[in-house]
Amino acid sequence: MARVRARDASAFEALYDSYHRLVYGVALRILTDVGGAEDVTQAVFLKLWSSPTVFESGNFAAWIARVTRNRALDVLRSKSQRPEGELPCAVADEEQIEETAFAHIDAAAVRGALAQLPTEQREPIEMGFLNGITHEEIARRTGIPLGTIKTRIRAGLRKLRSALDGAVTA
Amino acid sequence: MNVHEELLDDVAVYALGALAAPQAQRVRQHLVDCAECRAEYRALRPVADLVGLTAESAAQPSRMLKARIMKQIRTDAVPNNGASAPSAATVRAVRPIVWPAYAVAAACFAIALVTSIFNISLNESLKQSQNELVATSARSSSLARGVQVQKQTIADLLSTSSKRYGVAGGEVVKHGERLYIAMRQLPPPPKGKVYQAWTLMAGTKTMSPSVTFVPNNAGVALIPLPENGAHVTAVALSVEPEGGSKQPTSTPTFVVKLT
Repeated sequence: MARVRARDASAFEALYDSYHRLVYGVALRILTDVGGAEDVTQAVFLKLWSSPTVFESGNFAAWIARVTRNRALDVLRSKSQRPEGELPCAVADEEQIEETAFAHIDAAAVRGALAQLPTEQREPIEMGFLNGITHEEIARRTGIPLGTIKTRIRAGLRKLRSALDGAVTA
Repeated sequence: MNVHEELLDDVAVYALGALAAPQAQRVRQHLVDCAECRAEYRALRPVADLVGLTAESAAQPSRMLKARIMKQIRTDAVPNNGASAPSAATVRAVRPIVWPAYAVAAACFAIALVTSIFNISLNESLKQSQNELVATSARSSSLARGVQVQKQTIADLLSTSSKRYGVAGGEVVKHGERLYIAMRQLPPPPKGKVYQAWTLMAGTKTMSPSVTFVPNNAGVALIPLPENGAHVTAVALSVEPEGGSKQPTSTPTFVVKLT
C-alpha cells in the first residue's frame, strides 16, 4: 500500500491482481448481477487509487471487503423499489476498528474458524454479511424467530473471535 | 433475557451490518452512552469484517475490467495527489478496444515506417511503441490469468470426481466448493429478461438469488456460481427481469437437488 500511496501503477496492478476476485466476489454475492458487480469492483479500485490513505492499518482484505459490501449496498439501495427498512444499513468502513492481531489472518483461517461454528450460528452470519440482507430477512428465509437469529449471530461472532484469537496465538 | 442482553445482541447484528437503518440508528445512539456495548462492538466488528474474506470465489470479472481500470490508473499515475476519483460510469463509457497481439505489432510497425519516411522524431515513435508494448504486456498477463481460470473450469467440468446433476438442456456441476451451471441448449430469454440462478443454502428454507446471465447465440452458457458449493443443497434457474429479482417471479426452468 505504501507504493500505491506513492502513485506506483505497477504496485496498484499487483494489488488488483491479489484482491480483484475478493472484491468482485463480495459485490456479486450482494448484487447478483455480473455487470453491477463489475461496476462496483471498478469503483472500489479507482477509489483506492484516488484515496489510498483511507486504509491505515489492520487487515487490508477485511477492510476492502467491507468497503465493497457498503458500495454494493449503496447500489442496491439506489436501484431498489423496496422500503429503506428492508435493506441493511452499512456500517461505516471509515470507522474500522484497528485490530492489529488480525492483520495477517487469511481467508483459509476464517473459513476454518467458520467451519467450527454450529450451522445454526454460521448460516445467519454468512447470510447477513455475504448476502447483504437484514436479520429480519434471515429470519423470514429460515423460518427462525427474530430474537433467536440475533442471539445466534452474537454467539457465533463471539465463538469466531475466540477461534481466530486462538489461530493468532497458535 | 433482560433488555440489555437484547441490546448486546443488536450490537452484534449491527457489527455484522445486518440491521436495517432505523434499528442501526438506535444502536449507534446507544453505543455513545454504554461502555459495555461499545466494548462488545469493538470486539465483534473486526471479526465480522473478516467474514468478508470468504467471499472470494471461482467467478471472475471480465478481462476487460482490468484493462479499463489500469488505463485510467496509468493516465493518472503522474504525481497528482489532489486528483479526484474518476467515476466508474465515466470510465466504463470508454471501453477500450483490445487488439490482438499481431494487430498491435502491425500498428507498431506502421508507426515506425511512417515516422522514418517523414523523418518524424524517432524518439517520439519509440516512446509510443514502448507504451504500446507495455499495454500489450499487461493485457497478455490478464489473458494468461483468464486462461488459468478457464483451465480450472474445464478441469472441473471434465473431472471424474465432479458431481453432475442433469437438467433439461444441460447440467449442474459441483467440484468441491466450486459450482457451475453448464447449459448446452438454453433458448434466449424474452426481450428485457435474463436467466437468474437460485441457490438453496444448507439450513435455509427459501432460495437465495444468485447471478443473472444470458446464453450465447448457440444457447450455450457456462456460469460459475459465486456461492460456496459445499453449502448449497439445491440450484434452480428461472427467467427474470433484467437486473434480477429477489424472489423467483416465473416457473423455474429447472430445480435440482444437490444430494
